[in-house]
Amino acid sequence: MNIFLQATFEGLSLGAVYSLVAIGFVLIFRATDVLSFAQPAMVVVGAGIISYFSTQIGIPFLFAFFLGIILTGVLGLILERTFLRPMVGEPVFSVAVLTIGIDILLRVVLDNWIGINPKYMGDPFPSYGNFGSVNIAGLTVKYLEVTALITALMLIFVLSVFFKKSKYGVAMRATSLDQEAALAQGINVGRVFGLVWFIAGLLAAFAGFFITGGFNTLTNTSFISALRALPAVVIGGLDSITGAVVGSLIIGLTQAYVGYYQFDIESAYNIKLGNGFSIVAPYVIMFVILIVKPDGLFGTEEVERV
Amino acid sequence: MSKRPDLFTSYQKEISIFPNNTQKFWFVTLLLSSIYICFIASDYWIILITNALLVSIAAWGLNIVSGLAGQINLAHGVFVGIGTYTSAVLGGVATRSVIGFEMDLLIWLPLSGIVAALIGVLISPIAVRLKGLNLGLVTLAFVFIGSHFFSNLTFITGGSGLGRKSAKLNILGIDFNSGYEIGNFLIQKNQILYLISLLVTVLLGLGVKNLVRSKTGRAFAAIRDRDIAAEALGINLFKYKATALAISCFYGGVAGALLTTTFGGVEPGTFNLLYSILFIAIVIIGGAGTVLGPLFGAFFYVLFPAIIQYVVLSSNLSEQDLLITPQQIERIIFGLFIILFLIFEPRGLWGIWFRLRNYFKAWPFSY
Repeated sequence: MNIFLQATFEGLSLGAVYSLVAIGFVLIFRATDVLSFAQPAMVVVGAGIISYFSTQIGIPFLFAFFLGIILTGVLGLILERTFLRPMVGEPVFSVAVLTIGIDILLRVVLDNWIGINPKYMGDPFPSYGNFGSVNIAGLTVKYLEVTALITALMLIFVLSVFFKKSKYGVAMRATSLDQEAALAQGINVGRVFGLVWFIAGLLAAFAGFFITGGFNTLTNTSFISALRALPAVVIGGLDSITGAVVGSLIIGLTQAYVGYYQFDIESAYNIKLGNGFSIVAPYVIMFVILIVKPDGLFGTEEVERV
Repeated sequence: MSKRPDLFTSYQKEISIFPNNTQKFWFVTLLLSSIYICFIASDYWIILITNALLVSIAAWGLNIVSGLAGQINLAHGVFVGIGTYTSAVLGGVATRSVIGFEMDLLIWLPLSGIVAALIGVLISPIAVRLKGLNLGLVTLAFVFIGSHFFSNLTFITGGSGLGRKSAKLNILGIDFNSGYEIGNFLIQKNQILYLISLLVTVLLGLGVKNLVRSKTGRAFAAIRDRDIAAEALGINLFKYKATALAISCFYGGVAGALLTTTFGGVEPGTFNLLYSILFIAIVIIGGAGTVLGPLFGAFFYVLFPAIIQYVVLSSNLSEQDLLITPQQIERIIFGLFIILFLIFEPRGLWGIWFRLRNYFKAWPFSY
């Protein structure tokens, strides 16, 4: 039972972090019809900027953290303005491939900076309690994971209020419904595009810190964890924020359960799933769900006219 | 008539593979000069060009499914990998850790294409159900599931980090692995591989050209342009999408089988996400949906790094002086080219070539 609770907690925390990346995906997709493969790269770039400011420049962690988040948001803004604005109205596939190009560019620069040694975030979490974790009723609870869970929930709450109440939130929803109609209503669609990428960048940097914080460290393979938000989005449906959150939780929980129970399953049924199956499991789930429901669990069904 | 190359008096003539004598002439000239290159160029260049030819076969495969039939496939590298390992198992040598049957090239080369195509057909029910971005995402899942299999089926692949030797080069029972003597003349293994690759490239290239003008090719184009309209016209979507995937995988498999034979060994980590994206980049840079595009793209992809290496080596800079390694420069330029081509020249290198050709066709008149 303890193992189950432990796995559930870790899974939820992971899922919450993935959901930040996933919401970024969904925001960009809904407002601009772009599936941004550059989002995982933004996640690691965000982490990289935070790490650079807090460990190499040496400014206090909290400042570095917020500076990193803002800068990643600005990076999203710049990317949208330079590379994606000229592509408005092009086929979705071309734009998706273009974001793959952006992803390659960002990651080369980052990988070059990371080098061989893993980078620490310089965050205070590992120093709390017993190496950053506390024992509650037999469960090992990491402070970082608790913070991730709370921060993610808060961000999701703030975002939902922003979409419902604020002027720009409403403008963003209008744009995602119909770009031309929004334009006709006097909404500055270009500014909304920029804002969407900015918010996606902010969320990516938040997620980036929680993925690489503490003892996890930033390495050349960190982006693989960030990429797992992609199956999460697909499971939930590309255009649903609720779906993104639910999908992320499913992915996070799957990954945690597989990680803890793979050995038991293997010995019970005498099958071999192979090393690192917990990394592939999200994709297998995405595969199965897409076969059953091609538009994801919460996605709106695509209606096409000939 | 010969003065008016664009005048066609029958449909048969218009869709013929070489519609006029100029094209026949250039095809034969190129073919003969590529055979000649084999005997004058150094090993370095022969290996490079062999590589480019094989990469272009794989890129043709992706072009059939993505460029012609319009189905996004982010997992082409996995099918290349399947071809590779089929060839390695059938044509490779068995060791303590991996299996191998040391068969003839004439057996493993077609079979590696066929096995890849079969696996393509096997997953096609899933791929056919989806379209657009969802299809792209499912194929992304294939990449990860494929890499998982590659790194865990150690009796086939040797396991991650270790890898295995690739297929041996036996043709009709003759062992070509350490060259072959014809009279006084020693023909190297690389040269033989080059000639085989050239032959396969020409055959499969003509195959693409032939496919484009056939009923199947026209059906692919109809599906790409508007799948629902195509279905209304009586095109069996399931059948043609599956066919496109199967042909694409066949090309990928054949290319994979020969590609790793040039390197001598293969490690499962090769077939990762970046490897699959590479082929997309090649098709985009070359020109999606065209026959010559992937060829241009592949040559660009293979020869460009060679030029960068050459410049770096000849500029008296040691690797420590540079901020980034040549491989990273390559990747930066590659990423940048994907972006720039998509924004400024969506038809890729083929588009540039097309405009150049048309400019000189009418030279000195502008139109």
